[in-house]
Amino acid sequence: MPQPLNSKDASLFRQVVRHYENKQHKKGIKTAEQILKKNPNHGDTLAMKALIMSNMGQQEEAFVLAKEALKNDMKSHICWHVYGLLYRAEKNYEEAIKAYRFALRIEPESQPIQRDLALLQMQMRDYQGYIQSRKTMLQARPGFRQNWTALAIAHHLSGDLEEAEKVLTTYEETLKIPPPTSDMEHSEAVLYKNTVMAEAGKVEQALEHLEKVGHRISDVLAVMEMKADYLLRLDRKADAEAAYTELLDRNPENSLYYDALIRAKGIASDDHKTQKAIYDSWVEKNPRGDAPRRIPLDFLEGDDFKQAADVYLQRMLKKGVPSLFANIKSLYSNPSKRDTVQELVEGYVATRSAEGQSDADNAEFLSSSYYFLAQHYNYSLSRDLAKAMANVDKAIELSPKAVEYQLTKARIWKHYGNTEKAAEEMEKARQLDEKDRHINSKAAKYQLRNNDNDKGLDNMSKFTRNETVGGALGDLHEMQCVWFLTEDGEAYLRQKKLGLALKRFHAVYNIFDTWQEDQFDFHSFSLRKGMIRAYVDMVRWEDRLREHPFYTRMAVSAIKSYLLLHDQPDLAHGPLPNGSTDDDNERKKAVKKAKKEQQRLEKLEAEKREARKAASTKNVDGEVKKEDPDPLGNKLVQTQDPLKDATKFLTPLLELSPQSIEAQSLGFEVYLRRGKHALALKCLTAIHAIDASHPTLHVQTLRFRKALDSLSEPLAPQVAEVVNAEFETLLPKGQNLEEWNDSFLSTHKESVPHQQAGLTCRQLLKPDTKPQCEQDLASTLDSKDVTIETALAGLELLSEWGSNQAAKTAYVQKASSKWPEATLFRLD
Amino acid sequence: MVDILPLSSYPSYIDLLPSIQTCNITNLPENYFLKYYLYHALTWPQLSFVAVVRPKNGYSKSTTPNGAGSAAEQYPKVVGYVLAKMEEEPTDGVAHGHITSISVMRTHRRLGIAERLMRMSQRAMAECHRAQYVSLHVRVSNTAALHLYRDTLGFQVESVESKYYADGEDAYAMRMDLSNMFIDWAEIERKDRERAASDEKEADEGDEVGEVGKKESSAEKESEKMVRVKVGRGLGVGDLVEKNEAQTAQ
Repeated sequence: MPQPLNSKDASLFRQVVRHYENKQHKKGIKTAEQILKKNPNHGDTLAMKALIMSNMGQQEEAFVLAKEALKNDMKSHICWHVYGLLYRAEKNYEEAIKAYRFALRIEPESQPIQRDLALLQMQMRDYQGYIQSRKTMLQARPGFRQNWTALAIAHHLSGDLEEAEKVLTTYEETLKIPPPTSDMEHSEAVLYKNTVMAEAGKVEQALEHLEKVGHRISDVLAVMEMKADYLLRLDRKADAEAAYTELLDRNPENSLYYDALIRAKGIASDDHKTQKAIYDSWVEKNPRGDAPRRIPLDFLEGDDFKQAADVYLQRMLKKGVPSLFANIKSLYSNPSKRDTVQELVEGYVATRSAEGQSDADNAEFLSSSYYFLAQHYNYSLSRDLAKAMANVDKAIELSPKAVEYQLTKARIWKHYGNTEKAAEEMEKARQLDEKDRHINSKAAKYQLRNNDNDKGLDNMSKFTRNETVGGALGDLHEMQCVWFLTEDGEAYLRQKKLGLALKRFHAVYNIFDTWQEDQFDFHSFSLRKGMIRAYVDMVRWEDRLREHPFYTRMAVSAIKSYLLLHDQPDLAHGPLPNGSTDDDNERKKAVKKAKKEQQRLEKLEAEKREARKAASTKNVDGEVKKEDPDPLGNKLVQTQDPLKDATKFLTPLLELSPQSIEAQSLGFEVYLRRGKHALALKCLTAIHAIDASHPTLHVQTLRFRKALDSLSEPLAPQVAEVVNAEFETLLPKGQNLEEWNDSFLSTHKESVPHQQAGLTCRQLLKPDTKPQCEQDLASTLDSKDVTIETALAGLELLSEWGSNQAAKTAYVQKASSKWPEATLFRLD
Repeated sequence: MVDILPLSSYPSYIDLLPSIQTCNITNLPENYFLKYYLYHALTWPQLSFVAVVRPKNGYSKSTTPNGAGSAAEQYPKVVGYVLAKMEEEPTDGVAHGHITSISVMRTHRRLGIAERLMRMSQRAMAECHRAQYVSLHVRVSNTAALHLYRDTLGFQVESVESKYYADGEDAYAMRMDLSNMFIDWAEIERKDRERAASDEKEADEGDEVGEVGKKESSAEKESEKMVRVKVGRGLGVGDLVEKNEAQTAQ
């Protein structure tokens, strides 16, 4: 029961609400306290005070007060509503929904409570609940178009396309006169209905509808795209051709339009002549465009290709277009095209360099060609680093100020495996154009690749707002600079500074949380704006937000960090000298030293923070931002349960990127260590389905067998039954393991990663073969196909096998003689 | 090869927003939260465009509605974007567009990407929002961009805004008229009315529509040159008018 107030206090209470609505927090609190003086147990007033405090950032006190309010007045919808709002502010949506429901039970007619509930239901994707809420809201106020649209969206997202369309049509039928063309809400709602129809597979009807209403719709391009798409899907070739021609008139730089046009014209995919003629006609229409010139290189073959490539390359080299190689390289998956391009450009260089550089045009053409060849020989499918270096040096000689040339030189060093030189050369490129952030970003990235976190950040700070709390790094966090945080974390991981590595990965994880939270305001905003199609697309995208490669990459590194921490708990105190010392005393000494270093860094960081605090109090900025209490990630790294923490990163990874072998194999590693055999096996089965002969799968299959053979306590009977039956298909119990492994090795003789996997299994199966396996592993370096990355993975295997220093040294020496420029092969 | 695609219209490439944000913070000192990009994409979904490297095997989007396909097919590399809006509260009271941010990766310059992005956005501003003009700011030192805006696209310098950028550099405030790309809405509505009338609708309803149309037509007179008239099929006004009983259900 709402507790009654006398009329004076009741009017004061209304003032409190008004102050809250106008964000006059202090006045609101003051007025509330005035009421509470006389009515200390007044639930609604206590609740309003709590709400205002929560808005002022005093979350804990607000909760205490809100609970007190509820205790005093369990039957007040205001108390429950506020309780829900506080949970909402804490992002505890489930509890918030419960509280709103209590509030609604008491006050079923309340619009604001119903609205808050609906927003949360949408955020939580409780579509059935959302449909109910939206129906109630529509009944209360059917005059608002938004309410109809919202109900349609609710049905649409829940999968009921028919109902969605019906709701939209019902509203349209209430319109006596067609709204003016300027009514964008109407225009978008009509187009939205059309997309719902098409999504339901009613393409014919959608097209008919579009032809009836399309001419009045303000998003002209969308109507054209949809119409063209429908026509092609319906195989109405002539109309589709016209529609795509119209689209190309608008935007000749969209390859999808050309694809569709060719299809609509019914040109056979091997009729290159006719296709080329079409592209040529578009070149004529748009002489400055790139697409119609470039696309034919994809399908032309032999002499036709050579001729077209010659024209294309010469034109671009003459213009000195720096992106020429980036635009060409996708052709290289076809070796004969790759060789043709090489032959052509080498030919230009041969003739032009003979002509000399007296004329400026020729000089530019020549330097562009050298630059092209430098990139060509630096590319993985046409790599010859010595030639790349020679060409880039010639290009630089001709144009010493060209940032791109210098940038390419750094990239060549990267492929040499020399991160030091790469970073150094990229820094030179940066200095050629200090006002350009792109080259600055590259320089910072290369410094991080060289594990130089400080220099990397220092470079970044030339473009950040360094007055932000936390300085340049703080700004990069605030601006959600995911690439930097990830690279920074990975550099720390390579140095086994796990605290800082985890710190960065968690920061990126939190950014994804923020991005998910960002959609909340649009649940109401977009309905007001009426831009419904974009909103629905956004909602669907948010559902698979963590499928983005930015998440995948970060999560993989985070899980690797936690696995490392689990396997080597001493790393919680900082990086330790490598080489697993069996000597316990040595180990203790190393840990003690690491701990000391950790304390030193903590002290240093605290001092910095104090200095910043002192500085920032001077310039009163208004907003007070809290300093991070754990800037080094020491709390993160001192976790009690690294595997459980890893699971937080793993779950979205497995859910949204199940086709990633790396994700599945990391899933296996985490679940095996957690003793969750069924889940570990599920990951193996998933890899098997993607690539049955994957080297990682081979090793993990054996390790799973060994784990099953040496369980400390037997699996629960039901689990055992499923696991054994399932695993039987991957590796039958009766299989002789050595034969199994030998056959794997002989089947994949040519592949170094497979040899590495086979050798790993051999030394697992017969520990006494380890010295031989180590030698065999070193011999894989003789393979002509071995890459630096694979060779480096081999070195890591030796650590995994627990090999001694002598074996590692032998491997490193061999690798270093093969790649003398590389700095990557080092023993700590 | 680089394609110019709509960000959040049809088809939607809204899942490229994180990549667009990265493109921005890699290239430019003026950066924004993802939510600000979302705000653009969801308020003016027709105005922003993105330039991406076409994946070797095409886009998974064009074959499957949502998802499926390799990461490269689903998240192609973003090498440029234009983020644009309508000015929310124009000080001059004239509806106009504004380029919030545009950039192209250094590795993909001189392919005409920025020009194409600008043209797409400008046209959408005029067609969808009847933006009288589009405005933007550019660093006075950025000669390449200045060349694009002034010489290639036809912008004019309105004024110099001193210390516009955080590092103290001045900006040229530039603008370009877009009214020649307007669509003649009045004409569309007139034709619809004619069609409705020939469908023998009640006279009073026709009049009402007429008033709405008139307001428009007086404002549109000056832009008669180069107007594009889209000829559509019958509006089917009958569908919209007949069932008045639906209103009683409200």
